[in-house]
Amino acid sequence: MATLNVNGQKHVLSASPSMPLLWALRDVLGLTGTKYGCGIGECGACTVLVDGSTERSCDLTIADASESSVTTIEGLSPTGAHPVQQAWIAEQVPQCGYCQSGMILAAVRLLRSHPKPTDAQIDAAMSNICVCGTYQRVRAAIHRAAGQ
Amino acid sequence: MTAHRAPATGISRRGFLVSAVVAGGFAVGFASPLSGAATRAASAAGQSAASVNTWIRIGTDESITVLVGSSEMGQGVYTSLPQLVAEELMVDWARVRAEAAPADPLFANPGTGAQLTGGSMSVRGYYTALRTAGAAARDMLRQAAANKFGVALADCVAANGVVSVRGTANSASYGQLAGLAAALPVPANPALTPASEFRLIGKPLQRLDVPDKTRGAAVYGIDVRVPGMQHAAVVHCPSVLGTLASAGPKPAGASAIVALSNAVVVVAATTWDAMQAARQLRPSWNIPAAAGNLTSETISSQASQLMKSATPVVAESVGNAPAAITGAARTIDVTYQVPYLPHAAMEPLSCTASVSAGQCELWAPTQAPGFAAAAAAAVCGISADKVTVHTTLLGGGLGRKFETDFVVQAVQAAKAVGTPVKLTWPREQDFGHDQYRPMALMRIRAGLSTSKTITGWWDRIVSPSILFQRGWIPAGANDSQATDGATELAYGISNRLVEYVRHPAAIPVGFWRSVGNSLNCFAVESAIDELALAAGADPIAFRLGMLSADPRSAAVLRAVAKAANWTSPPAAGRARGVALTRSFGSIVAQIAEVSSPSAGKIKVERVWCAVDCGQVVNPDIVEAQMQGGIVHGLSAAMWGRTTFERGVATPVNFDDYKVTRMRDMPIIAVTILASSQPPGGVGEPGVPPIAPAVANAWARLTGTRKRSLPLQ
Repeated sequence: MATLNVNGQKHVLSASPSMPLLWALRDVLGLTGTKYGCGIGECGACTVLVDGSTERSCDLTIADASESSVTTIEGLSPTGAHPVQQAWIAEQVPQCGYCQSGMILAAVRLLRSHPKPTDAQIDAAMSNICVCGTYQRVRAAIHRAAGQ
Repeated sequence: MTAHRAPATGISRRGFLVSAVVAGGFAVGFASPLSGAATRAASAAGQSAASVNTWIRIGTDESITVLVGSSEMGQGVYTSLPQLVAEELMVDWARVRAEAAPADPLFANPGTGAQLTGGSMSVRGYYTALRTAGAAARDMLRQAAANKFGVALADCVAANGVVSVRGTANSASYGQLAGLAAALPVPANPALTPASEFRLIGKPLQRLDVPDKTRGAAVYGIDVRVPGMQHAAVVHCPSVLGTLASAGPKPAGASAIVALSNAVVVVAATTWDAMQAARQLRPSWNIPAAAGNLTSETISSQASQLMKSATPVVAESVGNAPAAITGAARTIDVTYQVPYLPHAAMEPLSCTASVSAGQCELWAPTQAPGFAAAAAAAVCGISADKVTVHTTLLGGGLGRKFETDFVVQAVQAAKAVGTPVKLTWPREQDFGHDQYRPMALMRIRAGLSTSKTITGWWDRIVSPSILFQRGWIPAGANDSQATDGATELAYGISNRLVEYVRHPAAIPVGFWRSVGNSLNCFAVESAIDELALAAGADPIAFRLGMLSADPRSAAVLRAVAKAANWTSPPAAGRARGVALTRSFGSIVAQIAEVSSPSAGKIKVERVWCAVDCGQVVNPDIVEAQMQGGIVHGLSAAMWGRTTFERGVATPVNFDDYKVTRMRDMPIIAVTILASSQPPGGVGEPGVPPIAPAVANAWARLTGTRKRSLPLQ
């Protein structure tokens, strides 16, 4: 038995503690906003916040996260009213949208450490892949959120 | 919801206009005789069949639901298509919702006759049909108000979802009128709003799908969960030509393994368990000797040999190009090469299937729901109308989700194990078992006159054929997909010869965003640039000199030149290149500005893009598609390549497959030209010009011409 604290809620899971957090979230807890993209920590589609830091949830086991507080896209704001989410809507960032949960959480983390990030800081922090090519709007949305 | 009455019908161009009262609303659309799939989908939804065979539902809560026949894969059709309906229906955008249409010929794209999302055809194909459906509904609601208040139709004005009677205080909302309207005959030729009065068409309305995509609430194929479902992963024969000899024993952690012709599906309690068990699988494969030839170097040498000695098919011939080139004052003879490319959509292939006696239900991120239904029906031995397809959102399609291989596997697995199964392809399988953008070798010979105009143009393309591999064209026929972008050039050249030689390599090839244009635009626009250099001409002036018969293309080139301030030189250490495409009913020109931070390294600093896509429906979506097309094309131009060793593909994941990331991003500026021409496509034409624009800029910066992709 393993436990997880996700979006402020405690869960007891019968899954193996060696299961990656990604699959515990998606297939066991039904939180499908966190996406599978590569399974090797490269693409960032599975990004979640673990004790406030961005982590690629495919690279972390349930056991690794069991003592921590995990925030997924579903837990960022109950109504989607987080300033980063609102900036994403204002800039009409998503196209297919598949990578955007991870993008948004990476941006949330960036803005906590750098409330007014420079373009260079955005380049360094935002390593997530978006095949649709929404990067320019992601950058605009981060600047917009930083201005609020 | 339940139907209260049979549909009233009227003849329309494509079938019948049908209306029906449904409890709580009213529906209108173009209908053809009901198919089984739609009928069953209707029953499942608790609605009458007639109500489902519609584009539009109006609820008593004043909601407007538009059924969208195209798949939403990021290109914005869940917004742009409802926008067409809302324009004519005279409703607030805030009330409009989009819903995936079921797989049914009724929802076929009028532009293609099929319910396929591809060829940048969604807005182009549905433009008139959806406006007509919206206008018909609007006029029926007006007539309902006329009857209700005992006034003339001409006195009933529809606006903001309410019909008001001119000169009186009488009015009724669409929700209140829906039941009355549905009892009325459907007008066959309702008046469409003139372009000068558009309220919504041409406006940058916010996308209907964006809020859910910021909350993790959007449901893609990979997110589907159905009761009793098991999860599955697939392992294919490493070589694209191999078949399964033996699946071997069932690994621990798997509930079942399902042996397929060239793969094994591993079924388990979670996707992770299935992927882990798949790694423990010890299958044996039959790999035919022919796989030995499927090595990239071999395929390239075969292409060179075919270029020299094969008899080509003529794709286009005007005048006498070889003679004109022989007699030219100056000639070029250059060969370009592009590699196989994977699609690498962010959402790996996934499909959920449920099979029961005589029925099949699919939840799939598919660009071709009708093909998916037919493929599932064949597996189950039932007719396609016994298959219900729920088209989910697509986490990128790019042409890959047009295919049905992943659908067939999910159905085979569900049929074998007796429970619903969600199949997810591990990323390595998605990269390694794609239906790749074909490689190509393109030789262009051309002649310049003493007055520095092109007198002859001879382009010979050697490339595997997507259409031949599928049996859609016979051997010896031209593959129009392979030559798209090489024929019917915008430029006025009096002697032209475009030839095609089919490369027989058995690597599976498929439709990749912009298809033949992705290879031909690179060769053609690079060669035009080489000719401009040879002529000592400015690359834009040189092109404009050949565009007197195509003022739209000329205007796009001028617009991009103006945006980039082309006549002023770039900063020291930078150079610019230009390229033009006329594809998918639109014209796009791009200027790339590049630098070289270290020897041989290309950095794309800025891209200016101008597009004429005819009547614009949503300029914000057009801009996004240009931005996205540039980024996608840039990834391919700079780094994209799949290589093969005896039929085994590499790379197989993003650690080894570089794509554009934030740090690589140029600053992109998009100019959209106003036009009253019919709508053109926007999903694909942003892709082709970026590769030649960057290569042309690099040639200017360094004096070195790169004729092979990827550039880095």
